[in-house]
Amino acid sequence: HEIYPLNKCLSGQESVELNCKMKFAVYLPPKAETGKCPALYWLSGLTCTEQNFISKSGYHQSASEHGLVVIAPDTSPRGCNIKGEDESWDFGTGAGFYVDATEDPWKTNYRMYSYVTEELPQLINANFPVDPQRMSIFGHSMGGHGALICALKNPGKYKSVSAFAPICNPVLCPWGKKAFSGYLGTDQSKWKAYDATHLVKSYPGSQLDILIDQGKDDQFLLDGQLLPDNFIAACTEKKIPVVFRLQEGYDHSYYFIATFITDHIRHHAKYLNA
Amino acid sequence: MEEESGEELGLDRSTPKDFHFYHMDLYDSEDRLHLFPEENTRMRKVVQAEMANESRGAGDGKAQRDLQEEVDELVHLYGLEDDHELGDEFVDENIPRTGVSEYPPYMMKRRDPAREQRDWRLSGEAAEAEDLGFGGWGSAGQCQDLREAYRYTHGRASEEYECYVIPEEEDEEEAADVFCVTCKTPIRAFQKVFDEHKEHEVIPLNEALESAKDEIHKNMYKLEKQIIEMENFANHLEEVFITVEENFGKQEQNFESHYNEILETLAQKYEEKIQALGEKKKEKLEALYGQLVSCGENLDTCKELMETIEEMCHEEKVDFIKDAVAMADRLGKFLKTKTDVEISAQPEFEDQTLDFSDVEQLMGSINTIPAPSAPVINPQVPNSATGSSIRVCWSLYSDDTVESYQLSYQPVQDSSPGKDQAEFTVTVKETYCSVTNLVPNTQYEFWVTAHNRAGPSPSSERAVYMTAPSPPIIKTEEIRSCEEAVLICWESGNLNPVDSYTVELTQAESPEASGVTESVVGIPTCESVVQLQPGRSYIIYVRALNMGGPSVRSEPATVHTIGSYFRLNKDTCHPWLTISEDGLTVVRSERRTPARELSPSDTHFTRCVAVMGNLIPVRGHHYWEVEVDEHLDYTVGVAFADVPKQEDLGANCLSWCMRHTFASSRHKYEFLHNRTTPDIRITVPPKKIGILLDYEHSKLSFFNVDLSQHLYTFSCQLHEFVHPCFSLEKPGCLKVHNGISMPKHVTFY
Repeated sequence: HEIYPLNKCLSGQESVELNCKMKFAVYLPPKAETGKCPALYWLSGLTCTEQNFISKSGYHQSASEHGLVVIAPDTSPRGCNIKGEDESWDFGTGAGFYVDATEDPWKTNYRMYSYVTEELPQLINANFPVDPQRMSIFGHSMGGHGALICALKNPGKYKSVSAFAPICNPVLCPWGKKAFSGYLGTDQSKWKAYDATHLVKSYPGSQLDILIDQGKDDQFLLDGQLLPDNFIAACTEKKIPVVFRLQEGYDHSYYFIATFITDHIRHHAKYLNA
Repeated sequence: MEEESGEELGLDRSTPKDFHFYHMDLYDSEDRLHLFPEENTRMRKVVQAEMANESRGAGDGKAQRDLQEEVDELVHLYGLEDDHELGDEFVDENIPRTGVSEYPPYMMKRRDPAREQRDWRLSGEAAEAEDLGFGGWGSAGQCQDLREAYRYTHGRASEEYECYVIPEEEDEEEAADVFCVTCKTPIRAFQKVFDEHKEHEVIPLNEALESAKDEIHKNMYKLEKQIIEMENFANHLEEVFITVEENFGKQEQNFESHYNEILETLAQKYEEKIQALGEKKKEKLEALYGQLVSCGENLDTCKELMETIEEMCHEEKVDFIKDAVAMADRLGKFLKTKTDVEISAQPEFEDQTLDFSDVEQLMGSINTIPAPSAPVINPQVPNSATGSSIRVCWSLYSDDTVESYQLSYQPVQDSSPGKDQAEFTVTVKETYCSVTNLVPNTQYEFWVTAHNRAGPSPSSERAVYMTAPSPPIIKTEEIRSCEEAVLICWESGNLNPVDSYTVELTQAESPEASGVTESVVGIPTCESVVQLQPGRSYIIYVRALNMGGPSVRSEPATVHTIGSYFRLNKDTCHPWLTISEDGLTVVRSERRTPARELSPSDTHFTRCVAVMGNLIPVRGHHYWEVEVDEHLDYTVGVAFADVPKQEDLGANCLSWCMRHTFASSRHKYEFLHNRTTPDIRITVPPKKIGILLDYEHSKLSFFNVDLSQHLYTFSCQLHEFVHPCFSLEKPGCLKVHNGISMPKHVTFY
C-alpha cells in the first residue's frame, strides 16, 4: 500500500469568525497531487482538539483509497481569555457545540457554527486542492451533533453526513441544556435551531443518507446524553433515510471510532465520488 | 565436358531405342577449331567464370588448367583415349536439343568424388539396361556409330550455337575497349576510326559485356527450366515403365490362367475319350471272344461227332445200326440248334462326336473381360454424414472394367435375431453414393459389388457408417448466467447416446459483422458452463456429435451477460408457494392451510415457507433485486444448496438473510445468520432490496435500491456455491429482478 502523505497541521490562522487564531488539521491523499479532491469535514467531540482524530482514528488508508481530503478543525476557540471558559470540560474551551453563541461573554468568539460552515470551507477551498462542490461532514459525539445540524440546516450543501455516538437531541439531554443555556440563553426556541431531532422534523431538503454508529456499552448512552431513539423516531416519521447500528461491546472511545471509520469513509466516498 | 558426360549419363538412364544417342562431343576436332579462334578461347573462359553455379577462378590461365584437369579425369574415367571424345570446350548454354538431355545445374560445378561415384553407378545402370535388351548404350563403339547417325540426321550445327563471347582483358597495350556490334567483335578504340569498322556501330565494351551477360542469363534461365522439364519427363517415363510392366504382368497372368483352364479341359476330354474307346474295344473284343469260344465248342462237338461216326462205320452191323440210330438222333438234334454265324461285334467304331462346347466357351471367354475384383469400401470420412444421409465411398484397386456398382445397406442390428432387417440396394456408376432417407444417429452396414458384362465381383467387406444425430433441444427456462459465464443445459434430442456435444456462440449485436463463432467442443454431458464477456448479448446453439458428424444446430437461445440471471427453483419450493411462469415471482396465497406437518424433504422447504433460486455456480460477484411490499413479512438472502429445509432461513449457519417484520406499525429489520442479528434500525423501509453476493471478498450486502442506501453487509465464508433464497412469513408476493448490472453505489461495497 501507499505511504500516506503528510498531514498538514496548520496553526495560527487568524479566524474572523472566532477572533482568534485557530488550528485545524488537513490530510491530503496522494490523489490530491494530481487534481482536486472532495472534502470531508470531521468534527470532534468534547475535550478534543484538532489532533485527536488525526492521530487516533486510523482513517488514513480509507481516505487515501477513496481520494478524500479530510479536514479536522478544533472544537472551540482557544485562548480568548473569557471568564469561565475553562471551568468545565463540557462547556467553554473544547466544547463549542458548533453553535453561534448569542449570549455574552461568548458571542464574540464562540461562533463555531459559522466557522465550520462558512469560514473554514472558504479557507480550505482557497488554499488546498479541493473541489468546492463536493463536501461531506461527519463527527463524534458533540461533533456528531455538529455534523448532523450542519447538514440539516444546509440542505444540499453536504453530499452526505454520518456520526459516531452523536448527541442527537441536545435540548433534552444534560449536556445540551447546559451548553445551550450558556451560549444561547433561555429561549428554547433558539435551542431547537441547533437540535438535530427538531431540525429533522422540518427538514425540507433533498434526500440525505445518514449513517450512525453507536456503541452499545457507551456510558453516555446509558446516561441519556445521546438519545438516538428520538432522532430515529423523528427520521422514521419524516422518512429521512437513516441506518443506525448499535454496536455490541463498544463504548464512546476512539477505539470504537477506529473500528468503524472505514465504513463511514466509504459511506461518504459513495456520494463524494459518485 | 561435364555437360557432355552428363548428357551421356542422362541418356543412359532412360533413353529408349528411338532416341539417338549422341556422344558428348558433338564436334570433331576440325569443328572445334571453328569455335576456337584465338581470342574466343579466352572469352569463353570468362563467360564460364560468370555462370551461376560456377566457382572457378577467373584467371584464364587457371581456368585453362582446370579445364584440362577435368578433361583428363574424364578420359581416365571412361577409358577413352581419344581426347576429342571429351573435348575441353564446353557446349553453349543455348542448347534446346532434341531428345532427352540431362543438364542438371550441378553439372556446372566443380566435380567432386561423390559425383564421380554417381557416374560409375550410372554406367552400371547402363550395363543393366543393356541386359534388358533395350539397345546398346554406353559402349564406346556404339557411341561412334550413333554419333555418325546423329550427325547425319541433325547436320552440322556448329554455326547455330555461336555464343556471344566477350573479350577479356589481356594486357594494357592491346586491350580491346569497344565492341563493334556490326562485326560482333571487340576492337580497340582506335580501330573504329579506320579499318573496316569505320562505318560500323560501336558500343563501349562494358555495355557489350552487360548485354552479353543478360543474354546469357536469360538463356540460362531457359536452360534451367528445360532441365526441370526433362527431369520430370524422365520421372514420368519411369513410372509409365513400371506401369507397363505391371500391366503386362496382369495380362500375362490372366491369359495364362485362361489358357491353362482350356488345356486342362482338353486334357480331360482326351482322357475321357480314350477311356471310352478303350471300353468300347473291350466290349467288342469280349463279344467276339465269346463268339469264338462258342464257335470252338461247336467245332469240338462237330469233330467229336465226326469221329464217333467214323468209329461207328468200323463197327459190326448190329452195333452200327444201334449207334447209327442214336447218332442220327444226336445229329438231328445238334444240327437243329442254330449256329450263330453272325458276327456280334462290328469291327468299326462309331463316330462319337465329342462335346467341345465347354472348351469353345472357354476359348471364347479368353477374349472376354473377367468379372471385376471386389471393391474396397472406405471407412467413413468423419463429418461427412447428415442426420438423414450418408456419403459412402469405395475404391477399386485394379484396372478391371466396371460398368456399375451396386451398393447395399441395412441398419446395424443390435443382437436380436429373427426380425429381418430390410436390405436396400442402390446402383450407381461412380465410386461414391449419397444415401438418403436414413434415420439419425443410427449405424448402417454398407457393402458394394462391382459389375460388368462378365458378371458381378465378389462383395466387398462390410463397413459400418453412421448418420449424424438429431439436434439437441436447449432447455431455455433453465439457463442461468452472470456477467462472465452462462450455464446451459439441453435435452439430447436422440434416443441413443451420442459421442459428445458442441456449444456454439456468436455475439448477437453484430452477427454478420463479426462472423466469429466460438465453439466449445467435446462436452460429455447435457450441460455446460461457458465463459463469456460481460455486457454482451450472445446467441447460443448446441450440436450433438457422433462418428458420422455433427447434427444441425439446435434452436438458438439468447443470453445477456448483464448482471446475474437466475430463476426460482420449483423443486425447492414450499408447497404453499407458487412460482410464476417466468420463474421470477413467488406468491404465498391467503389460504386456509391445514395445520398438519409436512413430511420432511431434502429438496423442498417444509417449515419455512421458502424457495431458492438457481444461481449459476460461478464465483465473482452477483447482484439482484427483490421487490417487496412495505407491510410484508419476508426474508431474503442466500443459502447453501443443502441448507436444512425444515428450518427457518437464517436460523443456521448455512444461510444469511435479511428479515423484515411489520408489526404494530413498526418495521423491524434483522440480519440473520445462525440465529444472531446485529441491532440495526432503518428509518425508511425499502421497497426494493438490492443484494450483492461477492465471492471474492466473502461478503453479502443489502441495499435500499431506491435510495442507493447501504443497509448491511455480512462477512461470510463461502466454501461452496450459494443460492438466493426467499421466504414469505405471511401471504404476499416477492418479485425478483435480475439480469441487472450493479448500480454504481453498490460498487463501493
